[in-house]
Formats: sequence, structure tokens, C-alpha cells
Amino acid sequence: MNKLTSLLINLAFFLEGSTRYKKIKQFFYNLLENEHYKYKKYFDYMMMFIIISSITIIIEEVDHPIYYWLNIYDIYIVTTIFIAEYLLRLWVSDDRRKIVIEEFENSVFLGTQFNTKRVLKRIWLSIKDYILSPFAIIDLLAILPAYREIRILRIFVLFRAFKMFRYSKNTIQFLEVITSKKTELTILFLLVLFIVFISGVSLYVFEAKTNPNVHTLLDAFYWAFVTISTVGYGDITPQSNEARVFTIIIILSGLGLISFFTSIIVSSFTEKIDEIKEAKTLTKIDRLSYYYLICGYSHLAELLAQKLKNEKKPFVILENDPDKFEEIQKRGYLCIKEDASKKEVLEKIQLKEKVKAVVCLAQDDIHNIFIALNIRSISKSIPIISRTFSKNSYKKLELAGVDYIVSPYQTAGLMASKIITQPIAVEAISDILSKKKNAVCDEVEVLKNSFIENKRIKDIELDKYKLILLGVRRIDENGKKFYFNPKDDFVLKEGDLLIIMGYSISVSYFKSLVIESSLKYARFRK
Amino acid sequence: MQDSENNILLIGYGRYGEKIARFFNKENLYIVEINEKNLQRARHDKFEKIFLIEVGDDETLLQILSQKKFDYIFCALDNEEENVFFTITIKTFEKNIKIIAICESKESERKLKLAGADKVIDTMEGSASKIFHLIEKPAVMEAIEEILFEDEDIDIREVEIPKNSFLEGKYIKDIDLKKDYNLILIGIIDKERGNNFVFITKGINHKIDAEDILLIIGYKEDIKRFIRDLKERE
Repeated sequence: MNKLTSLLINLAFFLEGSTRYKKIKQFFYNLLENEHYKYKKYFDYMMMFIIISSITIIIEEVDHPIYYWLNIYDIYIVTTIFIAEYLLRLWVSDDRRKIVIEEFENSVFLGTQFNTKRVLKRIWLSIKDYILSPFAIIDLLAILPAYREIRILRIFVLFRAFKMFRYSKNTIQFLEVITSKKTELTILFLLVLFIVFISGVSLYVFEAKTNPNVHTLLDAFYWAFVTISTVGYGDITPQSNEARVFTIIIILSGLGLISFFTSIIVSSFTEKIDEIKEAKTLTKIDRLSYYYLICGYSHLAELLAQKLKNEKKPFVILENDPDKFEEIQKRGYLCIKEDASKKEVLEKIQLKEKVKAVVCLAQDDIHNIFIALNIRSISKSIPIISRTFSKNSYKKLELAGVDYIVSPYQTAGLMASKIITQPIAVEAISDILSKKKNAVCDEVEVLKNSFIENKRIKDIELDKYKLILLGVRRIDENGKKFYFNPKDDFVLKEGDLLIIMGYSISVSYFKSLVIESSLKYARFRK
Repeated sequence: MQDSENNILLIGYGRYGEKIARFFNKENLYIVEINEKNLQRARHDKFEKIFLIEVGDDETLLQILSQKKFDYIFCALDNEEENVFFTITIKTFEKNIKIIAICESKESERKLKLAGADKVIDTMEGSASKIFHLIEKPAVMEAIEEILFEDEDIDIREVEIPKNSFLEGKYIKDIDLKKDYNLILIGIIDKERGNNFVFITKGINHKIDAEDILLIIGYKEDIKRFIRDLKERE
């Protein structure tokens, strides 16, 4: 016993200390269980292929001789893969070394003897937990058909089909829906058992002697179930009047049971439909490399969403109100019916990893402040833009961490003040901003080794590209600075942003030239 | 910002009105309100020429309009429907008066234009554009804000070419405002080609005539020098 104990402890600590072991385990965990892991889906496809091929082989085998190598493939390779998968899943399902370490530390702390028995028991319990989980049972049963000597085991081939569920998220959701109604389904099942039992026994009692088709109690139960399910094959029919009267009652109760069953399934689906939709949206979000987050669906959000959609920029809307949520869905935008002021929500949508900027457009300032604070509690760096309603909220929004505050009232005031003296200027600027006349303002970064790096403004000859340079934004040790209309001998440095104006074709042409020249240099260096 | 005799009538001192009022001279600004509370705020903000009228009280409105000559009227009530109503009311009295109306949606913009508003400011559209640029091209937005509002020395100006000025008869490509005046030429309204504003980047080589309007951006000093030269140099 002592030897075993020290072996156990040493092993546990060795594994705990080995980064390689942890890395390998993490890899298998990702491959088998982690939905977000890139390569999991290829593993899933491979497993599906193996399952389908093995089922096909077994069906073929029923009345055709099978090729030798196919047989080998089915019996040895498929089974080996299944067994390996089963064991790997068992392995990654829990960190069992931690049980040993925890017990050891406890025993050192309390000064008691290390209880090997209890540790082994706990490890066994953890293993048992896995073995008895529904998916593990299916996995195990799917391995059994490899043993060809017992014919009944072939039935378990079907479990290989069941196993496919594991690799499809939709079916897992379906199972989750069903299991959420466990109590109702149990009641239904007991009810069915009860009625089958009563009616089976009664038929047996009434007709076992007279009816040529009813020989055993099993026949009677079989008949009862066929009747109650409203299938009614008709191979066994009640002959006596008593039994027929009784059958009418069974049929009526059968109808009730069927509708009960249907209603359970339907209601559980309607209850879960939001969750299913949300899961779908989350998978879509998962596929995006970045996106903008819009909190609240006000009129302003609607306009913003339209603009983003036109530019094919990915965005997600958070909206709690059911009516608005439906409206957003009708428009086909990605939307989650949640309150943006909850922390879990923001974690769920991978705020930290994927969101490029957050726009708070809730119905009032209080809510916007709340959302901004919540986002700041998770990420300090994500830019937050918020709308404000009242002039008194500026300070508060800034304190809450909002980077830019947009006030439609303020904008209106500024525009109104300029529109009288400079109507053309206002129009030109709003044309540029809304891209009405195809004229745009854009930023072009001075990329490393591009043809504009370390050049004087004069030498770039922007007018050759039909572009106007409004200014250059440079970030240096003193922070951001905007150089308006720089002089001809202003030298551009890497990282500067040129603010240019022109028609969208000229702008994108110039941009592509800059990028290309930078890439070309990199390729040339190689 | 305005010449001293330009009178402006501002209808509404709600959330929009108070922001607009801030940009104008108190001397020339007349405020009409339909809500007693808002009117009190206007009084509190030290505006003196304020009037309370009821919706549909055309007589009082007509009286105000006839007393003074207004260059511009702002319809800036918080309620879009009331803006439409005031626009149409004023236009029935006086066709030639210039009305600038505030709205929050495309729907109301259409109605206001039908009602006769000369300019409609869609605040929501503007804000949406602003947010879009803030998240997609923040440097552009910052630059525009800097040019338009923050840097007091920079201005956007429409400059009409006077008769016999040194630019008359020249082609756009032959003049270099940047070298001579450190100005950026954005666009031009060419009288010959119809009164449309054309961005300079379209690449059309306009011939500059008298009465054409150039849209330029630059430091105020430079603009002043340019305008002075336009008038003096031949």
C-alpha cells in the first residue's frame, strides 16, 4: 500500500509540473470538446465519415460478402479509433491528478495520514461520472458491434448513428430541449407504463383462452402498446365484447397521451427557441474576426446599422426589448436579446477579443452610462462612443469612460450656425460624410517601406491622383497632433495618417498603391 | 459671426433650440416658444426677445413676422410634427422667407420639404454619419472636427470671384492657391455649368469667371489675404 501511495503522489506531482503533459492534454481537450477550437470541426468531419462508412459496411455485410480489407478496416481500424476516442475523452473529462494533490496538501496541512483509499475512491467516482454520462454510454455501446460473435450486438451499430449527434451542434441542442422536459416526460412514461400494464393484463385475463393470437402476457402487452400509441397494426384484435368495450377506453386514453406528448415537445421548443436562435447568432459571431457592437436599437442605431451594412462592416446589436428585437431580426442583422449592462453578456459575445468599438445608443443617458461602465470594467482600451440626450450628462459619460460623445442637438446647433453663412461648405461637408456625391474623406496610413514613406509632400504629387490633402495626423511622444495643410517640404514618416479627400475611386486606387509598394518591398527583401 | 442687421427667428427653445441659440448674437435672435417652461429657460439664459404663442395662433405669429424682417427662420421644436406645421404656416404668409427646419427622420424631411422648408437638417442622419466615421475612420472625423469647429484659426469659406480680379479667365489647373496663399481649394460653383457644386477632385479643368464661387479651406489670415488680393489685384 505504501509503495502505491508514494507512486500515486509522485506521479501526480510529476504531471502537475510537466508543461508538456498539460499542453498535450489541452490539445486533446480542444480537439474533442472545445467548440471554439479551429480544427475541431475537421476532427468532427473525420469522425462522421468513419461512422457513416462503418454503418454502410455493416449494412452491406447483411447479404453480400465483404472485401477482406474493408472487413479489416471495420473491425480493427474503426474500433481502435473509437476506443482511442473513448479513452481520450475519459482522460480530458477531468484533472484527476488534482484530486491526489489536493488530498496530499490537506493531509500535510492537517498533519494526518495520506488516505490512499479515499483518494482512489474519489478518482473512481470521477471516472464513473464520466462513464455514466449519456454520451459516454453511447460511445461505449458504439464500440461493441466490433465483437461479431454475438449477433445481438449488431443492433448497437445504431449507436454509431447516435454517435453522430455528438458531432453536430444542432442535434445536441435538440437533445437539450428534450432533456429540459425531463419531469414531464417521466410522468408521461410512467403513465404509459401504467396503462399498458393494466390493459395488457386485462386482455390477457379476458382472452388468453379464447383469442388464438394471444398466447402469452407479452402478446397482450404488445397489443396494448400498439393500441395505445394509435398505431393499431391489427395483428391482434380483441374478440370478446368486454375486451372491445375496454379497448375503446384504451384508445381514448391513447389519444390523450399522444397529444400530451406532442404538447410537451412543442412547448419545450417554443420555450427554447430564443436560446437556439441566440446560439446560432453566437456561432455567427464566432466566425467574425472583428465587429462593432451597438447597444440599444434607437432610431439613430437603425441609421448607423444601415450605414455599416452598406459598407459591409460586421456589427452586432444588443437589444432587450422583444418588439425591437423582432424588428432587428426581420432586417437580418445579428442581434442578441440581452441587456448590455450585464457582465456575462459581454463575455459571451467575446467583447475583449473581437469588438473593435462600442456604440451606446440606449434610450436614455442613465442607461448609456451604465453600459459604458460595464464595458470599461471588462476592457480599458475599447473605444466607446455614446449618444447623449442632456447637456448635464457630458461629464458623467466621460467619467464612465466614454471616448467620444455624440449629441444630435449639438450637431444640429453647429450645422445651423454654419448653414446661414456658409451653406455650400455645410453641404459639401455633409456630402462627404454621407458619401452622397461619391466624394469621400479617408485616411491613408504611411506604411513601412511604401513609396510615400520619408517623402516630402511635394514629391508625392497628390493632385496627379486627383486627391486633396487636408492634413496629416502624427502620433509622437507628445501624443496626437493634427497638421493642417502641411507645407510642401513636410516629410512623411511611418505611421502618419494622411487625411485625403477625393472621389472614392481615386482614394481606393491611391490606397492600393501604397499597400502594394509596401508589400513589394517586403517580398523583394525575402 | 453675422452682420449686425441680420435678424433670425428661432421657433422652439427645446433641446435643439437652445443649442442653436447659443451660436447667434443675442441682439438679432428672436425666439418663439409654445411651451411656457421652455420659454422660462430662454429667459433664464438671458434672451430678451422671446414670445409665447399657441399652436394655431396665426395672428400673433403674423404680427411678429410683420414687425421685423427676418433673414432666416429656424423651425427647431423638439416635435417634428409641430415643425412641419410652423413651416407650412409661415410659408402661407410669406413665400420668400428662408426656413431652415430640424428633423429626425427621412419621413419628416420629406414632409418638411413638401411644406416648403428651404433647408432641412436631418440630425439623426448627421449623427449616424458621425458615429460611423468615428468607428471606421476616426482620424478623418477628428480632422474634420478640428477644421470645422475646434481650431478657431481654420475656416471654410465660400469666396465669390469679383469682376476683373486676377483669377478671372484663368484655368483651375494653372492656379496654385497652396503655393501662393497656403489655401486648399475644395470645389467650385461654376456659373457656366449650371449652379452645381463640383468637387475639384473630379478633375474638370474649369475656367474661372466672375461670380463663380470657390470653396476653400485655410487659416483665416490667409483667407483674408486672398480675398483682399482678389479685390485689389488685377
